[in-house]
Amino acid sequence: MNTLNKKLIIAFFSVLILGLIGLFTIHKATQSRVSNLPVISKVPDFQLDNFDGTSFTEKKLENKITVASFIFTQCDGACPIMSTNIGILQKRFSDSDELQFISITTDPDYDSKSVLKDFSDKYSANDNWFFLRGDIGDVITLAEDGFFLSADLLPVGHSTRLVLIDQNRNIRKYYEGTVDANILELQYDIVTLIDQG
Amino acid sequence: MKKQLFFQSAVISTILSYLVIFAGGLVRVSGAGMGCPDWPRCFGRWIPPTNIDQIPSHIDATSFNIVLAWTEYSNRLIGVSAGFSIIILNIIAIFYFRKELKLLSAAVLSLILVGANGGLGALVVSSVLDPFLVSLHMILALILVSVLSYACIESYKGIHLEQFKDIEINRTLSNSLIVFWILIVIEILLGTGIRTNLEFISIENPLLSKGELLNALDSYKYLHSILGFSLLFLSIYIYLKLRNYKLYIVRFLGTFTLAMIIVQIFLGEMMIFFELPQLTRLFHTWGSSWLVGIIIILYNCISNEYVK
Repeated sequence: MNTLNKKLIIAFFSVLILGLIGLFTIHKATQSRVSNLPVISKVPDFQLDNFDGTSFTEKKLENKITVASFIFTQCDGACPIMSTNIGILQKRFSDSDELQFISITTDPDYDSKSVLKDFSDKYSANDNWFFLRGDIGDVITLAEDGFFLSADLLPVGHSTRLVLIDQNRNIRKYYEGTVDANILELQYDIVTLIDQG
Repeated sequence: MKKQLFFQSAVISTILSYLVIFAGGLVRVSGAGMGCPDWPRCFGRWIPPTNIDQIPSHIDATSFNIVLAWTEYSNRLIGVSAGFSIIILNIIAIFYFRKELKLLSAAVLSLILVGANGGLGALVVSSVLDPFLVSLHMILALILVSVLSYACIESYKGIHLEQFKDIEINRTLSNSLIVFWILIVIEILLGTGIRTNLEFISIENPLLSKGELLNALDSYKYLHSILGFSLLFLSIYIYLKLRNYKLYIVRFLGTFTLAMIIVQIFLGEMMIFFELPQLTRLFHTWGSSWLVGIIIILYNCISNEYVK
């Protein structure tokens, strides 16, 4: 066997090995998207009011994928960015009835139902985004003990993280609501959850 | 002896650069582009974390995924190895070949390209994978392997002058190789354009299936197929002309080019009918990138100024 043929055989096997590495990596990467969404905790029972006057409880989280956030309408820093980002997700998934959004106000004194309705009109293009209010004590308890998010010095000190909740009311992951890369990550994870059923 | 050293260094640099293209393609198809959200480090570490607890507290760990982090970081590591290899090539060129302008300029140009592409890699990450930057990153890599292939064949010719002495010069064939190179680069650009558009559409419409995504593409996807078949005819012509050459490497690369075009058309059709399996995508891009370097080698084999 001449040296060129030997080199060709080496090249052939190198490409084969690269193919196997590629296959393995792609398989692992696909798997990792699911395993990267561990169940963190179950959302506890709660009761809040939607801006249209209807009651919203933990039961409405069942059989839906939910993206939860804490905001207040007078906030001029993170909340408009977060809400715009949620609005983008709402639009992109507008063909899906498996997804919903909840934004809980950390300033229920100011954010009356009508204020929340105006806020909804501004950011939401669909009826699957609920703007919720309730007793401030309940909101703090839900944020800290239910979602494990900081709720100091409200309303300003609310967390800017978005929470991904699966169809079984389990918290799966947190995302920085103002960071584009995180929003894209959230989008991929929503698709993963939808695909899983 | 010194030229042999330059040749070997150029071959290693070329192989490493092709490995970077492979690793980069793997990053793209496995969606690992944001596996490390920072650059050049990964989650603030020179060795990517293997556990979420290793991520410094000031860095957001939301997007940490060990598989994606290491896939992305491998691309960077192989890129750095290619960079070092090209630095060595430049040292050899500067020490021994200052007067051989072709070798020296190929070495220096490859160093500039690999440096620029590393910097562009940082921009790709900071732009959260802007599809245009991703494609530009790929194009720079293609130019890099072209320059390195040129360095390989030029130094090889310097060592094996006698093989090229009697080589038949055919202007039409040389010109068709130039046309082939331009067309294959355009073809790859079209391919990355299709991919870029698919990604845009998929980000805006995350629920579309892969088949629906392909349907949503503009009609210029057909241009990619048409050009592919044009390349097939051109490669048949090149193959028929080259198979009469005495020099084995020329005959071999002529056959290889034709075979690779056929394989690529087959892979391309597979991607349409089987909804873009990721490994096919990877080899479709990577295999085409081989042709870019091979055509440079062929052209320089048969367009020979040593024949005097």
